[in-house]
Amino acid sequence: MTSLIIRAKELLENKTVQVVIGYEAGPTGVARPAFITDPAKAESLIYDERCVQNLAVYLTKREVKNIGKMAIVATLPVMRSIMMLISEQQLFADNIVVLGISADGKLLDIADNKVMQGYIEKSDLSNPEKYKGLLTEFNKLSPEEKFLYWQKELSKCIKCYACRQACPMCYCTRCTVEVNQPQWIPVKANTHGNMEWHILRAMHLAGRCISCGECGRACPVGIPCHLLTMHLTDQVYNYFKVYAGTSEKMSSVLSTYEPNDKESFII
Amino acid sequence: MARIGVFICHCGENISATVDCGKVAETIGKLKHVAYSTEYKYMCSDPGQTLIKDAIKEHKLTGVVVSACSPRMHEPTFRKACAEAGLNPFLCEMANLREHCSWVHEKNELTTQKAIDIVRTQVEKVKLNSALQPIKVPVTKTAMVIGGGIAGIQAALDIANTGHKVVMIERSPSIGGHMSQLSETFPTLDCSQCILTPRMVEVAQHPNITLYTYAEVESVEGFIGNFKVKIRKKAKSLDEKICTGCGLCTTKCPQKKIPNEFEQGMGMRPAIYVPFPQAVPNRPVIDKEHCTYYIKGKCKICEVVCPTKAIRFDQPDEILDLEIGAIVVATGFDIKHADFFPEYGYGKYKDIIDGLQFERMASASGPTSGEIRRPSDGQVPKNIVFIACAGSRDPAKGIAYCSKICCMYTAKHAMLYKHKVHEGRAHVFYMDIRSGGKNYDEFVRRAIEEDHVNYIRGRVSTVFERDGKLIVKGVDTLLGAQPVEIVADMVVLATAGVANAGAEDLAQKLHVSYDQHKFFAEAHPKLKPVETNTAGIFLAGACQNPKDIPDAVSQASGSAVKVAALFSQDMLTREPLVAVVNRYAPPMYSTCVGCFLCQSVCPYQAIEREEFKNREGKVVKTVAKINEGLCQGCGTCVALCRSKSIDLLGYSNNQVHAEVMALLNEY
Amino acid sequence: MSDFEPKVVAFVCNWCTYAGADLTGTSRIKYASNVKIIRFPCTGRIDFMLLLKAFANGADGIIVSGCHPNDCHYTSGNFHAKRRWIMFKELMDFMGVDMNRVTFSWVSAAEGAKWADVVNTTVTKIRELGPYVSYKELVNKSVEEEVKND
Repeated sequence: MTSLIIRAKELLENKTVQVVIGYEAGPTGVARPAFITDPAKAESLIYDERCVQNLAVYLTKREVKNIGKMAIVATLPVMRSIMMLISEQQLFADNIVVLGISADGKLLDIADNKVMQGYIEKSDLSNPEKYKGLLTEFNKLSPEEKFLYWQKELSKCIKCYACRQACPMCYCTRCTVEVNQPQWIPVKANTHGNMEWHILRAMHLAGRCISCGECGRACPVGIPCHLLTMHLTDQVYNYFKVYAGTSEKMSSVLSTYEPNDKESFII
Repeated sequence: MARIGVFICHCGENISATVDCGKVAETIGKLKHVAYSTEYKYMCSDPGQTLIKDAIKEHKLTGVVVSACSPRMHEPTFRKACAEAGLNPFLCEMANLREHCSWVHEKNELTTQKAIDIVRTQVEKVKLNSALQPIKVPVTKTAMVIGGGIAGIQAALDIANTGHKVVMIERSPSIGGHMSQLSETFPTLDCSQCILTPRMVEVAQHPNITLYTYAEVESVEGFIGNFKVKIRKKAKSLDEKICTGCGLCTTKCPQKKIPNEFEQGMGMRPAIYVPFPQAVPNRPVIDKEHCTYYIKGKCKICEVVCPTKAIRFDQPDEILDLEIGAIVVATGFDIKHADFFPEYGYGKYKDIIDGLQFERMASASGPTSGEIRRPSDGQVPKNIVFIACAGSRDPAKGIAYCSKICCMYTAKHAMLYKHKVHEGRAHVFYMDIRSGGKNYDEFVRRAIEEDHVNYIRGRVSTVFERDGKLIVKGVDTLLGAQPVEIVADMVVLATAGVANAGAEDLAQKLHVSYDQHKFFAEAHPKLKPVETNTAGIFLAGACQNPKDIPDAVSQASGSAVKVAALFSQDMLTREPLVAVVNRYAPPMYSTCVGCFLCQSVCPYQAIEREEFKNREGKVVKTVAKINEGLCQGCGTCVALCRSKSIDLLGYSNNQVHAEVMALLNEY
Repeated sequence: MSDFEPKVVAFVCNWCTYAGADLTGTSRIKYASNVKIIRFPCTGRIDFMLLLKAFANGADGIIVSGCHPNDCHYTSGNFHAKRRWIMFKELMDFMGVDMNRVTFSWVSAAEGAKWADVVNTTVTKIRELGPYVSYKELVNKSVEEEVKND
């Protein structure tokens, strides 16, 4: 994608940014994240269907932040991640240049966050199509079937926490799972403890998940854990009519309230 | 290693009648870390407390569980006893065996087992308690009284007379409140103005009172002893220091057709006005909404005629920052107005008025100079109907409560009418006559017996107009629900007393609770009637619920003494049950990652930012920090924090987790 | 299962429901002794993880209760709690955890009778549902898994 390479090169050459976060082809042709600091190496940047990872996860990594001002190749989920990270004070708006990529793979002209906000607001923010059907089907199951399904899936979890590592919103330097006073989540992998972990993770992402699906994609044993957060994304919209990651100023659903929030189960 | 002492109270027989206290003491005594377990008839008695104190010393206890009544009852008692024996009071917990067990269950095995579970849970909790030191905070010895009605005036004068400074805020141009509108007061029929105005003047002249009229509370931050209040002093469009209050401007103002609020809309006032002749301060304000200059940009007649050149059209609103130690809320009440009674035709027929309008009409300084005259044609009504409980005690109307003052003022109105119109007939429709109070019932009897007011027990279904007369249809329930029809010249509705407009907004600014009717909520309906749930904020008068003058004044004096008690100490001691954000050695500093989502859940703005800098002075980490003076210990931030970096002293994650574990696992 | 005595844990706030339960006591209104109360300063303090821990430790039912909306001693803790419970309930329903076993309620300090009613209704319901076997089995199975993995 020449336009992307030209833009990246330009940003590095005129020292607008010190690093461009994007994708490059690895030795076997699989796309991998690239951290370009040398304008000459901007040539290696690619953007095609292979490039699926949510690169926003690197924006909060000390090693990357320390390089300096960052530019990032950003599809819609990345842009929404950026908005969330700014709103949660993990990223400063003036420390980032967005190399936006449209749904059909074209480089967008994202001059500033206002433009990005406009782009996000115009986009479909509901869960990706490929998961919608799955969620609808799953919701038709009986409670017992659901319980058994998750038991079976979660029995596979090896507590590698790849789901956490892949998520741009899981940026805590110390995760609850590392707390042992009390031991909220058992250290060892077992179905019940695994379930507690996945409930905890989903609750922590309620109203913050931007539906990129990276958690599920990262899982080495194929647990569809993204369905948990995506279900809550649906519910957040259902109850509170908001989607995460739409502006720099947005506050998360669980840290705000409206006095007339509706529910039907409190007696 | 923990050495816990457990003290099971029989509470006479209140606990021991259903719980086998001996068995509880014995079972608990076998638990790990329980060094001493005993039972006694009355733990709260002197010998009971001595028992605890002796055991603390003798068994070198590191924690105490008193298993007795609700901690809401006696926690302070036992914590004090522990402190006297040298044990940090926060190492004492209570297990609620009375309210939550013996009083609500039958005598059986399960009840005793539940008691054991409850005690065991507290044993596990107290093991994780830590010795806490009370938080000391300084007290700013200035009180703020919000509202300048009779309650606010009384509170302000009482506080000021104890030698402390008072700031009084009144949102209208003059203090005086509803009492200044009243004609005469029950049950003595003395003139309201005559007893009120001297007090208003006293407020204005008191060296300890600073009065801000035409001012509203903008925001309140902080906590007991240390409130930071922003006041919006609305522009009066005149320089009060120069203005002499001569009133020339008010007579020359060309805009004269503005309904007069003080006269309840029954008179007119100009755009530059003094609300009433006895107003304090006696200086006019310009009503920007109606002033020709502010609307059209032309006029300025008042500026031209003003002999001292005091008019300031460009005067901005002023924001004052005040440091306040205690707040008395005395914002008063309002009454239901038009549209609320379509069945009574209020708003449709001119000769149906409300109680406050009747007060103005009966007042010598009112629009009719004290004569009772129909608003429609100025005729003296020969037949007048008073309808009590208009809206009050009517759940269908959304007002289930009794407005309290209406029975009395309706009797007064009927009496005043009879005194002024000797040949007239006064009828009162009532549900019940509620005249509890000194000389109150005698007053009502006088209206009935001496002034021959016709009291009809029953409700009015409808009022309509026929041939220039008002037809009042109701029933007399004392005559077997016989229909009654009265042809009246005028009808007075004793409309329900309701919370003042803006009460909800103010309550939210002050962080005090309010009820479904937007009346401010007291901390306890019986034992803390003048306190609110927010420490340092007190209530006076009808902002809590409709009340008459003596009640409002008593309560105002009550809150004044609360304020005085608070101001009697230089430092306040607060319970240290507050949230803390963890701290570790550099480079970690804290596990807080600085998302600051906790800031938006904190109702007290108690969460601040703390920056850690390296040797070069560069900020390397920004984390949350709790201001322990502001934190009230709700713990909402604790449950929200994803990295578990915040904890709540006294209800720590470790403690509540241990409680859940202990409650369910019988061991 | 006639001799089944449900274990019910109640997570309540100090200012409304705890005081309400005190009033139930003062009014001598009787209710099922299966419920045991844990006191929190505010519903906002109640961590959803504690509900999971209660089930994991053998609770058959849970009551979560606090001040009515607008009555929170801390102004807004219950509003935040409400949002949290909405999300938690949706997630639990999605995972097949039986939310019929959890009663969420608002019980004020003046509602002593309501507290007894909330407890009795919950206990009756849990009696009908029986012990939370599937959750207990999950926990027991997990203990075995750990032993096996060691």
